[in-house]
Amino acid sequence: MSAKNQEKGYVALLGWSLNAIDAVDRMDRRYVVIAPPWAEEYATKHSIPYIPWNFERLNDRSMEIAQTLQDEGVDVAIPLFEETVEWAGAINAVLMKNPRLMGQSLLFRDKALMKRRAQLGGIRVGIFEEAHDKTDVIHFLKRVNQALLKLDGDPNDPIHLKAFDKAGCLGHRVVRTPDDVQAIPEDEFPFLMESHLDGWEFAVEAWIHDRKIRFLNISEYVTLGYSVFVPASPELEKWRPRIEEEIEKLIETFDIDFGFIHPEYFVTKDGKMYFGEVAYRPPGFKVFELLERAYGFNAYQGMVLAFDPHTTEEEITAFFPKEVVDAKGHAGCFGVYPRRRVVSELRIPEETEQHEYFEFHELQAPQENKVTKRSAFGTHWGLVYFFGAEPYRMRDLLKHQEELDFYV
Amino acid sequence: MSEVSPETGPVASSGELADVIESSLEQAVGRLERSRDFAKPAATPQVLELCRRLMMQPGGIERLYLWAPRLDRAGVFLGTDWQDPKTLLAGLVANTFELGDRQTLVIECLSQLRALSVASGSYVRAGFSAEQAHHFLSQVLAHNLSKVFSAGASEAERQNQPEMTRVVNDLLHFLVGHVGYEDILGNLTDEIWRILGQRPIQVGHVKAMITQIAITLAGGDYSLGDARLGADRLISALFGPTKTSLDDLGIPHYRAYLAAMDFNALQQEARGFARAMHDVGLVSDYHAAFLRWLLENERVELIPDALGLSNTGLDSLQCYSKLVYQLIEEAIYPETAQAIYGLAMLLERGVLFIPPIGPGLWRQISLDLSENANAAISAAFGQALPARVFLLAGTISVLGQPLGLGQGNNPTCQSVRAISMWSFNAPDYLLHLIDQVGHFDGMLMHFEGASINSAELPVDLTRAVPIDSDPVSNLLVPHLDRIYLQMGRLCADRGEDPHRWINPEFHGWWVGRGFNIAVDVATGKLHDYDGFLRNFFACYHPLNNGNQLVIHPQPAGLAVTDSSARFVGWHAITILRVALDQSGEMRVYFYNPNNDSGQNWGNGIKVSTQDNGERYGESSLPFNELASRLYIFHDDPLTSNAVWGVAEDELQNVKEMAFSSWAADRIT
Repeated sequence: MSAKNQEKGYVALLGWSLNAIDAVDRMDRRYVVIAPPWAEEYATKHSIPYIPWNFERLNDRSMEIAQTLQDEGVDVAIPLFEETVEWAGAINAVLMKNPRLMGQSLLFRDKALMKRRAQLGGIRVGIFEEAHDKTDVIHFLKRVNQALLKLDGDPNDPIHLKAFDKAGCLGHRVVRTPDDVQAIPEDEFPFLMESHLDGWEFAVEAWIHDRKIRFLNISEYVTLGYSVFVPASPELEKWRPRIEEEIEKLIETFDIDFGFIHPEYFVTKDGKMYFGEVAYRPPGFKVFELLERAYGFNAYQGMVLAFDPHTTEEEITAFFPKEVVDAKGHAGCFGVYPRRRVVSELRIPEETEQHEYFEFHELQAPQENKVTKRSAFGTHWGLVYFFGAEPYRMRDLLKHQEELDFYV
Repeated sequence: MSEVSPETGPVASSGELADVIESSLEQAVGRLERSRDFAKPAATPQVLELCRRLMMQPGGIERLYLWAPRLDRAGVFLGTDWQDPKTLLAGLVANTFELGDRQTLVIECLSQLRALSVASGSYVRAGFSAEQAHHFLSQVLAHNLSKVFSAGASEAERQNQPEMTRVVNDLLHFLVGHVGYEDILGNLTDEIWRILGQRPIQVGHVKAMITQIAITLAGGDYSLGDARLGADRLISALFGPTKTSLDDLGIPHYRAYLAAMDFNALQQEARGFARAMHDVGLVSDYHAAFLRWLLENERVELIPDALGLSNTGLDSLQCYSKLVYQLIEEAIYPETAQAIYGLAMLLERGVLFIPPIGPGLWRQISLDLSENANAAISAAFGQALPARVFLLAGTISVLGQPLGLGQGNNPTCQSVRAISMWSFNAPDYLLHLIDQVGHFDGMLMHFEGASINSAELPVDLTRAVPIDSDPVSNLLVPHLDRIYLQMGRLCADRGEDPHRWINPEFHGWWVGRGFNIAVDVATGKLHDYDGFLRNFFACYHPLNNGNQLVIHPQPAGLAVTDSSARFVGWHAITILRVALDQSGEMRVYFYNPNNDSGQNWGNGIKVSTQDNGERYGESSLPFNELASRLYIFHDDPLTSNAVWGVAEDELQNVKEMAFSSWAADRIT
């Protein structure tokens, strides 16, 4: 452990992430990890400051952990996972004596509330509704397509179903026909329904301190659920000024003083930007790792600076590089799904293996031969990492991976 | 990158690609270096992947070699078995090369390159000297000789990682280029002599290594230094032990030569074979041809010379000459030549004088093998000879060399130990079992009055039939295993270690009826360890038990530890003798069913197999060192009582060795 500076903030990490712990352990700040009791043995063995806590639903005992951290002298709690976002809100409300933070975190945790709030703030969103049963879904599918003036027999525009409080693609379904609706398990209700936006989807990562954007990354999805790279291509980066405006609107609407947000947007063909959703925690798909590869800074350390109320203006300005121009190249990754129904071994395609942009992969040999059918968006079998100088070559390369077999 | 390719295909030449991979590696290693120790395992896989890719590029191994010290310091080995290079076992490397998964293979390669950096002096690492590294590498190369000298890959490797096989071969050649051939061959020769010093029954792999050396020496101009003499002796023992067979012209030619020889020349030939066999422990194919020729041409008076018999052996032969000639006739062929050594030792042991043995062997000579037994033996030993010939030759070997049995790569130490013990102490019973299984496909034993027939027990499908052990084990072990497991089932609910009841009933009346165990079965913690050790000294140490020798072989259980003294597992051995060695140290001589008993158990405890008074096939340790790894032994409750108590400092010494190894987390 490095020598810790008592002048600077004392942070609590909510959730167990070795990468995050490693990053903060190498900083000059005091920290403590709040994680379920299964982490205790590991934490003790490696002298990681640790307080056990079960992050179930907020309940009567929630005050207890806030009190513990306050007594400990902690300045701020940082959520690492979707499930710990409202805990961070509740705890920070106590630590900072600011009850508004609790309400704010609830907005981040409920996709329907989040959209309403955005709409109230004048942010453009698609059509959405909440569904409590299958008739709601059929009704919404019908009305959306009526509104699009589709005739009987025309293929429907799809709608998207998303769980209120799950991260990323978890629980995300696309529905086109009433038959699709019948396939939805009862236990997935209720959820949020959205109209499909035919456009370019991308994500943004923004570090906010003192209500100001300190670093803004645009993550370019080549294909949603498959691949992403940073920094984005010039074609998408030309939207940066518009995106900054949108993020500032989010800061105003959601009253965000500090922290890290990860919103998703659509740009439609006519150049309008639609807000999709926003999360108050690190993104999936290893975007933090990609940022470190492209820029060299540690995104978790950036989060700590953004959350810590004792961070100085000089410190945070010095920490972050200049967007796009300071990147040493483009870092991307591709999520592999087996393409065949039966697979027996992992075999990296020769053209990928020999490609100069290819770096390494995290794929494992298949545990069983039969590939389970993907329901909803499913989970990939592992990521393949690339790094290179040319954004368009990167984009084509990532796209091309979708046509290759990694499992045969 | 100036060029934008319209396609996504690769444009870089291999050299450029290696450059690109190295710059990625630079990043990944940087991350690993920055990581805290607890986060390093998460940052390591990508480093290993990039190392693998670099190695696969032309010239990649040379490039990676330069990275080895930095990778080691960055912590690539942290938390793995390769962390501490001085504990690495060269003998395990070949196995990793053949069967390791992708990541393990890369770590193994890096570990070799690290050793080379240390050996060459370009990297100084605490606790691992350049000499140690050099020794380690030459041992690794010796164990992988077939890969070093031939381009072909074994089936196992081919199946496993086709693209990595080439990398491993390239790596081995790279290592040889730095280490040199002399050391490898010298090392290998020493290794073979050490293994042969234990007189194993199964010598297939030893023969393969000697063949490899012979081919290498014949094909190139390698200077071997002092090891040349030892290597030549091994090669000649195998391929041309006598004046006439020296040219290795093939058996038909050889027989033609014999026909033209007079008595003196034949006697010289006979003595040459005997000398080579007793000197090295290997039998040449010509030796078998010679014995058969003697029988066919009525020159049986030369058989004692050809077997190198002493007076005892000669007596046995003369009393039972018809049986012995019949055994040669039935069982000794070039394919089973190694059984000649077993035959010689069988005669020397005098077991033929035990009344049931003669008729027992006659019974086996005419044994009609069952279909199953035929199939099992042929599957393991081939069709060149009928299965019953292999079995008879195997029986001769086992009766002649009870301590030459090895378990092969099978988790069957209990069964193999039992066969060895019977051959040693109840050879007629062993012949009885061979007859039962060979003819009736079943084995009948009793446990606490109830009979157990292996034929009626379910086959444990998780246990493969051993195909890499001797014919007798091949036949008996599956049945012994089933019976052993059934006995285990019958006392599973008694809440105590089942060996208490199984060992005496399974092996024979001579196993001590008292049972001593150092650990509590429920908790795995030590239980009355002082009492356990005191009793062991009182029962087995001649200076504590009134100078009473070990009379019958006794089963015992050891906590086996690795070279870092970490607990590996429980293992079955037989205590054979306790005696002073030539330097006046009290040692326990025991039988270990592992194939190679010369093992390093850490804390300075190295099992010796020769030069400390061992008979062929025996292992030995100083009394205290063995006691420190012991967890089960038997004694006789009627006769055993502490005559003279063990000295307190001896007891402390044993406990310290146990506490600093397998018992470290079992102290109560």
